[in-house]
Order: sequence, then structure tokens, then C-alpha cells
Amino acid sequence: MGAAALMTMSDDAKAATEWAEHFQGNYRLMTPEEKAEARTRLERRYSAEYGKKVTVDGTEAQPGVLMGYALNVRKCIGCRRCVKACVEENNQSRGKNPGERIEWIQVLRMERGEFATDKMNHGYPEGLGIQVGGNAYTPAGQVLEGQYRYEPEAVPEKDATYMPIACMQCEKPPCVKVCPVRTTYREADGPVVIDYNWCIGCRMCMSACPYWARRINLTNPVLPKEEMNPVTHYLGNRPRMRGVVEKCHWCLQRTRKGRYPACVEVCPVGARKFGNLLDPESEVSLILARKNVFRLKAELNTFPKFFYFYD
Amino acid sequence: MKKLAFHTMILAFCCGMISSAFAQQQQEITCFESRKGASEVVKRDLQPGWPNVKCSPKTGAVLWWGDPFDGTVPMGDMPLLGNVAPGKAVVKPRSEKLAILPMCATACHNGVGPAFNPPTLPKDKKPKPIPTMVGLLPDAQNLQHGRGRIWCLDCHHTTQRNKLVDNFGDPVSIDQPQLLCGKCHGDKMRDWRDGIHGKRIGEWASTGKKRWFTCTECHNPHNVQDGARNRGFVQIAPESPPQLPKGMKDAKYERVHGIAH
Repeated sequence: MGAAALMTMSDDAKAATEWAEHFQGNYRLMTPEEKAEARTRLERRYSAEYGKKVTVDGTEAQPGVLMGYALNVRKCIGCRRCVKACVEENNQSRGKNPGERIEWIQVLRMERGEFATDKMNHGYPEGLGIQVGGNAYTPAGQVLEGQYRYEPEAVPEKDATYMPIACMQCEKPPCVKVCPVRTTYREADGPVVIDYNWCIGCRMCMSACPYWARRINLTNPVLPKEEMNPVTHYLGNRPRMRGVVEKCHWCLQRTRKGRYPACVEVCPVGARKFGNLLDPESEVSLILARKNVFRLKAELNTFPKFFYFYD
Repeated sequence: MKKLAFHTMILAFCCGMISSAFAQQQQEITCFESRKGASEVVKRDLQPGWPNVKCSPKTGAVLWWGDPFDGTVPMGDMPLLGNVAPGKAVVKPRSEKLAILPMCATACHNGVGPAFNPPTLPKDKKPKPIPTMVGLLPDAQNLQHGRGRIWCLDCHHTTQRNKLVDNFGDPVSIDQPQLLCGKCHGDKMRDWRDGIHGKRIGEWASTGKKRWFTCTECHNPHNVQDGARNRGFVQIAPESPPQLPKGMKDAKYERVHGIAH
């Protein structure tokens, strides 16, 4: 422990904090003092690394709050501004090499033309296409992986609809059930969060998630100093290290302070809505009361707090 | 964006500004918030290292607000909005952005000239093409809104042309278009009032302070349906797509090579 004392006294912020972090427990089991200590340690480390004053917040869940989200699928135009705003806010890796560019929101593109009258009869067997919906080789309604990488001049395209997906913040999250080290858990106000320091990078949660919401830092994250967002939360957007899983947490560093998540603010068509499910006057509660609402893959009984709706 | 910067540069040069100001002008970045041409913002630092907006390098769209209430004013009265505490609803005034607005009420449509009094308005309510107007407002030449069933003075005030008009013919500020639009689009206004339709930024609590985006910040009032497209929002350039999965050459890969069954 003499060496430990020497290391923590070191002038190098990274070396000093790294040593202490090895002896850090699971964030959920730490005492408030230990949590504060861990956050101060990280602030010191990040401030040195990124050359500016970085704050690591630890605001806890407020009683009487259950965060909820609603998205109007009729309005979405697939412009991907939410995806980029999320990257700006949440300090994701933004390198050029494979695996270095991480985006939490994925905008799915569905082709309307698949079910167009001129394609309906292309089925197999011949002439019965309209009954089987396309044919075995080009089945109608099949969405290929590559279609999500659409890049037209302008959106929305004529024959497409869009459906953004990200973490659904399930009430019964499969990722939490499988985590062998219990580093991912549901916070009292709803979001499912990750203590990145306790994550071992086994990727069990990534396979368990039915919504493809989780991403892993396979490489050292690429985060330029000038682009780094210095306002962070311990369970939210603080810079991650190599080998840990990350995902959407509804901008905990903003929402715990009362501000809308970044994707809600940026959506140019106002398709994204966020609010307190326990407040009957909130936007999300009014949508649930008034609109046609569905949950994605509701049959899996994951009970997402992310709702899709249309007018 | 670059064109605008170029023009400002020339302007600065002509005015004989000193070289330091010239350098500042050169770096000026203008981004648009919701729809191009409706709400442009100039990037600047609110605090050192804390910008008012972050913009997309690809499309020039605002991606992130440092302060959501920057440059806003209280929204003003709105029927059935009694539950919102004063000062909690703010808007960014558009009137200062509309360059010709101050002229509208004084230069031509001051409401005193005999040719502009209501009795001499065209009986068929078809706007006459006046070259000055067409040059100033290209949208107005082929008014799409209403598909020919409405005309200028259904929305603009007869004698105060820098104002809009409400149900009783009283003038409404151009910064409160919801009072006008809600006359016909009542269902949309109800949803907008409750935060279901349209966009708000700021605090998410139902009692929190929010910046509301008014109708015309997202929709072009003269061509709401975007011509034959018949959609409420104009097409915009998308941001760049995500990284391709390892091994996939391009987005068309599966279409060309097929998928294994």
C-alpha cells in the first residue's frame, strides 16, 4: 500500500486516478462519500486529459419522476440530426477507422415501394405474388442492413418512412438481467444506466438487447479535445474507456438538471417528446392519453418507456 | 452560408473597417435552426469554450444549443394557456429577421392611401401581380396555401400590413402566428399548446421554462404543403450515414450479393 500512496500522490492525474480506480467498487454500492470521491477523481483526470474544466455530476433521481419518451413516427423525416446531436452531447467516439465511430441512435428506413401495386405481383409462384408478398428472393417488406445507410440529396424520400431506434429504457430490461457484474441497472427515475468503471466488456447485454441499442468501444475512443462536452454525469456522458459498453441514457446530465435531452431539442419536425410519466400534464402523459401509441416489440414483455405514436 | 459570409466581408471592406474586424467577420458561421431561411443564428461564445450553438459541418443545421433561451422574449397572451406561469413560455421574435417588415406598414401599405382602403380591394379577391411585390416576396406570386381558396388579406391585416389578423379582424403580432393559424387548424393548435405538435426546447417539466417554436419557424406560411409534395415540412439534406459494418463495402452490398437464406 506504500506504492499505492505514492501513486495517488503522483502529479500525473491519469496515473493517480487509475490506481485508485482499481480499488473502486460498484457505483451503486458505494457510500455517498465514496461516490463524491470517485467523481472528484474523474474530474481531475478528465480536466488534465482534455485541457479544460470538466465537471462530473452525480445528481440522484428525484422522487415523483418517471421519465418517459414518445416519438411520432408519422413526423420523422429521417434527417439524422438526432443522431449527430447525441454524438455532440454524449462524447461518443468519432474516429475514422472501423469501430471508432459510435452512434447510439439508429434511423431505420422502411421502403414503402415494397408494397407498391406494380411490385405486388412479382411473387412466387408466378401470378400469386400479391398473396405471398414478394417472392422468396426479394420478399416484400424485407429491410436490408444497407438500407439504413441511405444518403439521398434530401429527405424525406418519396417512397420511404423512417423509424429511429435507440435504448428503450425498459422497465424489465433484458440487459440488466444478463449482466454478470451488475454494472448496468435501472435508476429510480427510469433510465437504465451503466457504471463504465465496473463494466468488464463481456457484451452479454449487447446480445440480450432486442432493440440493438448497445455499442462497445472496441478501440480507444477518439474524442478531440475541442469537441468534448465538459458537462458530464457519472452515469451519463463522461468519456468512456476502451472495452466498455455504452448506450443512450436519456442525457442524464441534462435531464437530471431539468433540461430536455439533446435529441428532443434538435428534432426539426418536433417528432420527439420527453416528460414525466407520473405528471398527468406532461407532454408524454398527454400523448399516451390522446394519441395512438405502441411500443416496439411489445410482445417481449420488456415494457419500454419509449413510446411510438402517430396522429 | 459561405455566400452570406462573402457578402458581409465585402460590406465590411467597403465600410473601411479595420483589419481585426475583418478577420472576425471571416470566421462568422451562420446556421439555421429548424427551416432554412426562417431562423438563422450566428455562432458565438457565450462563455469561453461554451458556444451558443454547435452546427453540423455537413448541412449547416444547429445540432446543439448552449443556452436554449438565448435571444428570446416572453410569448405573450395565448388563449387557454392560463396554466403556464408568466415568463415560462418564450419565443424568439421573427419580426427582426424579416427585413422588409418595418417597411410594409409605412412605405406602401400604410392604410391611408385611397387605393388601399378596403372599399377598393379587388372584388374577386385575386391578388394583382405588382412587380415590386413579386420581387420582394416570390412565394406570394403563386400562393399555395389553401389551394386558391384564400388570399392575402385572409391572413394579413387590411390596413396594418406588418400585422396578421385574428377572427375579429383585429391585428395580431407577426411573432404570434398561432393566433392566426389556429383559426383553421384548431386541432393542430390544441396539440401545439399541449406540446404534442411542434417543437420546444428548454426545461422538460410541464411547469418548466421552454422556448416554443411558433408555426412559421417550421412551416412556410405561403406554401405550407410544399407544392405538389403535400407534406408539412420541406425536404432537407440528411446528416451523414453511420459507419458500415465491417466487411460491407457499400450500402448496396446486400442488394447486389443477396442475403443467405
